[in-house]
Amino acid sequence: MRLKTDDGWSPYLAGALSGVVLIFSVLIAGKYFGASTSFVRTAGMIEQVFGAERVAQMTYFKSKVPKIEWQWMFVLGVLIGSLISAVTSGSFRWQPLPDMWQGRFGESLGKRGIVAFIGAAVAMFGARLAGG
Amino acid sequence: MKMLIYGLVTGILFGFFLQKGRVLRYDKQLGALRLMDMTIVKFMLSTVLVSMIGIYVFKDLGFVELSVKPTNLGANIIGGLLFGAGWGLLGYCPGTSAGAIGEGRWDALWGVLGMLVGAAIYAECYPALKKSILTWGTFGKITLPQVLGVSHWIIIPAFIIGALYLFRWFEKSGL
Repeated sequence: MRLKTDDGWSPYLAGALSGVVLIFSVLIAGKYFGASTSFVRTAGMIEQVFGAERVAQMTYFKSKVPKIEWQWMFVLGVLIGSLISAVTSGSFRWQPLPDMWQGRFGESLGKRGIVAFIGAAVAMFGARLAGG
Repeated sequence: MKMLIYGLVTGILFGFFLQKGRVLRYDKQLGALRLMDMTIVKFMLSTVLVSMIGIYVFKDLGFVELSVKPTNLGANIIGGLLFGAGWGLLGYCPGTSAGAIGEGRWDALWGVLGMLVGAAIYAECYPALKKSILTWGTFGKITLPQVLGVSHWIIIPAFIIGALYLFRWFEKSGL
């Protein structure tokens, strides 16, 4: 049986409301939504701990300066907004494996971790290359 | 400081709606890639339809500017293929991985770590890519109305009608 609390809203409604948020963001802050640049900035901030001089000399980090700015806070906000919605609707679940994954690939946490990690690295490389 | 607060508040609102739309989940993202469940496509296209109208109205009034990414066929196609393959393995995109952690689906943490590594590798490869793939098929900052030589108020209604037919087909097919 499906949990009644886990049905959520119509994706058309939630998507349209997100569109309204985007319009206001561009009007007020001049900012369109994005996330992947913040991973570059964070990677740069972590690398700075080990070698600030090297990071300062890298071409890519000159255009994507490793610092916390609008988009970084936006990505943090997505996590917080999702947490608020999930907790207040009873749909928060501390879950190590997605249902579909577990049904197909079993209960190994290591297998999921390795595939997710490699997939993520490839996806981010592709996203940066494509400009997204 | 003001920009940081704008970013945080905007993110909270967007994350709230992403969670309400149930689009942050691996099962929904893989569902779309396996052509079984179009929830995320419904969400994304609805966002695009609403914001497309609003942004162009305010652009015509002179209140906002577009942020057009350059078209760069080599980078767009190769990057897109890599992104798709990685997304299929991970089941979250960069933004939704943060949201997925927010609703407790902590396998997305592996995704965040992997994406940081992927970003670091890209930064290392950037000088070489800049001389190769990033120079293949560059067209600059072009838009569809510009290339077709028509008003955006012709493209926008056509896009909306196409999307509504797609939505109707999704609902009829139970996708």
